[in-house]
Amino acid sequence: MSGYWRDIFVGAKSLVVGLSITGREFFRPVVTEHYPYETPTLPARFRGHIELIANEESGEPNCVVCGLCQRACPSGCIALSGEKAPSGKGRVLTSYMLDFTTCSLCGSCVESCKFNALRFSREYNRVAFDKSAFQLDLIARLKEQNQCKP
Amino acid sequence: MQALTCNVATPTLFSAEGLVGLIFLLTILMVVGGALIAVLSKWLVRSVAGLALCFTGVAGLYYFLLSPFLAMMQMLIYVGAVSILIAFAIMMVTQAGSDTRHQRKVSALAGPIGISVAMLFFAGFTILALATPWQQFPQEQEGSTRDLGIALLGPHVLIFELISIVLLMAIIGALVHAQRGRNRGTGA
Amino acid sequence: MMANPIVHALVYLIGLMTFAGLNAAYLVWCERKGAARIQRRTGPCEVGWAGLLQPLADGLKLMTKQLLVPDGVDAALFRLAPVLAMLPGMVALAVIPFGAHLQALDMELSALFIFAFASLAMLCVLLGGWASGNKFAIISSARAVSQNLAYEIPMLLTLITIALISGSLNLREIALDQQGGLFQWNLFRLEGWHILTMWIAFIIFFICSIAETNRAPFDLAEAESELVAGYMTEYSSMGYGLFMMAEYINIVVGACLTTILFLGGWGCPFDVAPGWWWFGLKMYALIFTIIWVRWTYPRTQIYRLLNLSWKVMIPFSLINLLITAGLVKFL
Repeated sequence: MSGYWRDIFVGAKSLVVGLSITGREFFRPVVTEHYPYETPTLPARFRGHIELIANEESGEPNCVVCGLCQRACPSGCIALSGEKAPSGKGRVLTSYMLDFTTCSLCGSCVESCKFNALRFSREYNRVAFDKSAFQLDLIARLKEQNQCKP
Repeated sequence: MQALTCNVATPTLFSAEGLVGLIFLLTILMVVGGALIAVLSKWLVRSVAGLALCFTGVAGLYYFLLSPFLAMMQMLIYVGAVSILIAFAIMMVTQAGSDTRHQRKVSALAGPIGISVAMLFFAGFTILALATPWQQFPQEQEGSTRDLGIALLGPHVLIFELISIVLLMAIIGALVHAQRGRNRGTGA
Repeated sequence: MMANPIVHALVYLIGLMTFAGLNAAYLVWCERKGAARIQRRTGPCEVGWAGLLQPLADGLKLMTKQLLVPDGVDAALFRLAPVLAMLPGMVALAVIPFGAHLQALDMELSALFIFAFASLAMLCVLLGGWASGNKFAIISSARAVSQNLAYEIPMLLTLITIALISGSLNLREIALDQQGGLFQWNLFRLEGWHILTMWIAFIIFFICSIAETNRAPFDLAEAESELVAGYMTEYSSMGYGLFMMAEYINIVVGACLTTILFLGGWGCPFDVAPGWWWFGLKMYALIFTIIWVRWTYPRTQIYRLLNLSWKVMIPFSLINLLITAGLVKFL
């Protein structure tokens, strides 16, 4: 019989505790963001797809076409090529294609880069109806970014 | 309520009396239709639905007979409990998804005997109805529930108590059955 | 009062239909908003200001969908069940006194009337579940019926306690009996020391009304995680919509009943300006509590649910009935 009464009282108390918790939460501010209208504040180490880093002065990519990122990529989603620089010293990037459909955002490419030429972008809502939209031309992207800069 | 006064002057359909008369006809239709569905349907569950419809119609008739309490009880007990018990029984007996048609063999004599008994009853009731000198009783709408309660706990208290004993016996019987069933289940 | 009874009936019919429809639509909105706030989300906010047109969009969506009658269902009963499911709630609204002069039909046994028709709802669930010919639906309807039968008993016993105090089964008279301030309400009734036991009756009645309307934490009949959608599994389009509307109308009826039986109907706690607005305030506060409860507790198990009724609610309501009868008799 004591178990019966204990069940009732403990049960009733737990119900009140539950209600008080949800009642408190009801009046606290919303924590979700209103997605398409609000831009989230991305954390410092957010990983978007990779992008090229431009030289501060020239705006040309820092890349020296060493190919380390290509080799470091476990999914083989980076394809880059370069040619001899017109000045004769080193090589310049002619194409840098990222196949984002197979990229797992592991970041090995960024880690492997010794020339401060790769970083994660802060783009979080890339959507498309077509797979081909995820074959990213990073040089074109860099040019666009350069144009946007004043 | 005013259905009883309907025969005095033929009211139009769009007066209160006319609508009440229409509802009265609908109730009768529910009783007869429900009973027919209950008897004629090939599916047991539909029969139960027909029975529930019939009970609801009977509740309506009680209401027209100025005994709303009885009408409510008819709804609560017959539609709410008895029909559901029958439906439950059907669910227990037949398996889900299986054919729930009536599966029974009847003697060749069943039809003729049934019809003759029904005719006999019908003839008897008709003669009785025609022979009885019908008289109008004073309407006792006021305090009918109160009167019912006083009657149940006053002059008819013995019957009232007997019913409760019947219910008690039913509960004890159910408990005994359930207990035996459980013991057999664990013992085997 | 209006002279023509047919005009009177028609006005109330249209009014109650609107009331029921709007409530069913906007309680869904309230439910979603409430759930969202408790989970610290925003809830519907796209369609209309603060998502206020969301019910309209949902209704349009449901109505434009095909009413699918799958093979192997009992087509007649399958179509009939959702329509009938709406009936008890709609009929019950007719006898509820929303204010001293706002009642479609003043009936001597209105409290009993509501319960009589509520038992019809059970039958609809049973028929709908059976007609679907789906095992989830059948399990669900068996659960719903055993649950409703179990919770109808303490609910009716509590109703008898109220009938003893008020000496009437007429909802209007029960409400009239409680006019004149907080301590005239059945819940806090000082006169006759009913305040001592009525809170138990109130809690029992409130829990039962949640269970009777198949709401969480007693929503075993449509337990999504185990029974898909229970007896509504096979329903699409407005068949499903009608079941949903019926659920919300039943909630409204349950809240109305609780308001009338315990919280003084249209009476004001401080006895100023009584009227239907007080009724609405109390009713929606109760509905909010029901929504709050739904988003707080997880679903119970079927045997715990039945144990709660048979082992706790019914004994307590019987003892409460006994004590109340003693108080009425000797005080």
